[in-house]
Amino acid sequence: MYSVENKEDERLIWSRFLKGDNQVLSLIYLQHSNALFDYGCRFAVDKHMVKDCIQEVFCSLIRTRSNLGETDNIRLYLLKSLKRKIIRELKNVNSQSSLITEQDFPFDLRWSENMDDQLYDLDEEKKHLLSEAMQSLTERQKEAIYLRFNRGLEYEEISFLLNLNYQSSRALIHRAIEKLREIIQVPNKKINHVLFCILHQ
Amino acid sequence: MEKYRDYTAVDFLNDESFLTWLNNPTQKENDFWNGFLKEHPYKKAEIREATLVFNLFHSREEKLGLNETYEVWNRIQREAKVSKRTVLLKFIKYAAIFLLVFLSGGISYYFIQHTEKPIHFELAETTQTGSNEARIILSDGSEVSLEKQISEISYSRNGQQLIVNNDTINQHSGNQKEQINKVIIPYGKKSMIMLSDGTKVWLNAGSQLIYPSVFINKTRQVMLIGEAYFDVAKNPEKPFIVRASDIQIQVLGTRFDISAYPEDKMIQTVLEEGKVTLKYSGKGILDKEYSVDMVPNQKIEFNRSTGESKSQMVDVSKYISWKEGMLEFEKADLIRAIKQVERYYDVKIRLADPMIGLYKLSGKLDLKDEPEEVLNVIKLTVPIDWQKKSNGDFVIIGK
Repeated sequence: MYSVENKEDERLIWSRFLKGDNQVLSLIYLQHSNALFDYGCRFAVDKHMVKDCIQEVFCSLIRTRSNLGETDNIRLYLLKSLKRKIIRELKNVNSQSSLITEQDFPFDLRWSENMDDQLYDLDEEKKHLLSEAMQSLTERQKEAIYLRFNRGLEYEEISFLLNLNYQSSRALIHRAIEKLREIIQVPNKKINHVLFCILHQ
Repeated sequence: MEKYRDYTAVDFLNDESFLTWLNNPTQKENDFWNGFLKEHPYKKAEIREATLVFNLFHSREEKLGLNETYEVWNRIQREAKVSKRTVLLKFIKYAAIFLLVFLSGGISYYFIQHTEKPIHFELAETTQTGSNEARIILSDGSEVSLEKQISEISYSRNGQQLIVNNDTINQHSGNQKEQINKVIIPYGKKSMIMLSDGTKVWLNAGSQLIYPSVFINKTRQVMLIGEAYFDVAKNPEKPFIVRASDIQIQVLGTRFDISAYPEDKMIQTVLEEGKVTLKYSGKGILDKEYSVDMVPNQKIEFNRSTGESKSQMVDVSKYISWKEGMLEFEKADLIRAIKQVERYYDVKIRLADPMIGLYKLSGKLDLKDEPEEVLNVIKLTVPIDWQKKSNGDFVIIGK
């Protein structure tokens, strides 16, 4: 995850890039390419397309360098431009997609790998319920959860990416958490055992 | 800490410090949250719930492979009209080193041209160490067995005489070719070797070192399977090169530890003092060599299957304490500690449940004791128990 202490570095790195330093761009690229790729794949199944869009994000950075302003949050800037590019691209490729509003654009929140592990032996029924609850989340809820728990973004950053205000993005995540808790709180010996193990790692 | 007293699971999940603890904990978060739990045990239930929700929501990630990372960057550069390939390669190399040294947690890739040809003792890679006898194999093929628990071997300057545990052996080097010697140390034993140039090598259990009795080539090259700690004698004219699996470490004079057991996925290098260059020969389409300069106290872990590397500043003493008969851990996975105990004592230790292997272990283990006692010490820090089977194997069970 990302730490706040990096903010100063970010500002510095970015200003070096703005001044024409190309070496620092490779640094930015290496630092963010995996996060960008993963985020992009949540929108698009076609990985080649995601790679093309990442390429386009960086190329347009170079092209528009002289018009860009200061930032202390390079990652957010990159995530935002990638999302914009991918959604535009998806709409171009697929005429059906072109009818979907940005609010309803499908977002792939995969079943957590932790859950498939031996680590949790949740019984099948509870697994099923949890997975159903995850799938019943709205697309933007899934995206908000992803940004919060996988990318470690703060609520302000999430609202920026989702074009929502602070309160709504908080509420999105809050409701999703409550949904899962309802299922979890049904007493289950197995679950308690699992939780015990997590805590004693 | 006070504000957390009335927190619910949801409140915890809204808290930045709590999320950092789950996602990417530093010492600070670990200390804080473990302390909090100790002081407010009644909060355990809420924290448990928050942890489970977090784990449910934390989903599987797609990663760009090494080749793809390179390929996309290549395209960006091409479009940016930086056409010279060499310049480009340099870019990434410096960027990666910068990233490794100054930023933490990033995965980085480095690319440089292939320069040196591999040296001649390829055959060694196929020989298994297993539980064979500890021995030294001389250039004429004759073997001398090393009966002591900790053997000492030292070479004279001209490499023709060697002292093995107080016995002197003569070895003739007839022609101009390097005379290759090999030390094999099985599980349960260790060895200290002083090479003809004065370099000292501590060879850990289950390891092999292959080296010339005297270094006559332009570089001093040795090959390692397993783990060793090197204290390299300074000689700026003849760089010292350690080859271990896919990596190469080049030094002039310094102290460092390499762990490259064939059965481990990770190759780990820890630098104590001086400067070394770590090189990795890539496989696949690119077939390039990547290299990075390490600084003291830096640890680099190389994943041989994905080609990814992870860099970290560490307390070096924890990684080299094995040569004094101690194992030191800081939040190490129990399974890693168990593997080391297995190698050291040459015993088999099974886990009744693979999950137990994920317990975190901190502290020192004195390996002068019997394995039973070592397991008892481990038992004090993590909730496990152990049994000894009739065949001498150990089984660890959760409590």
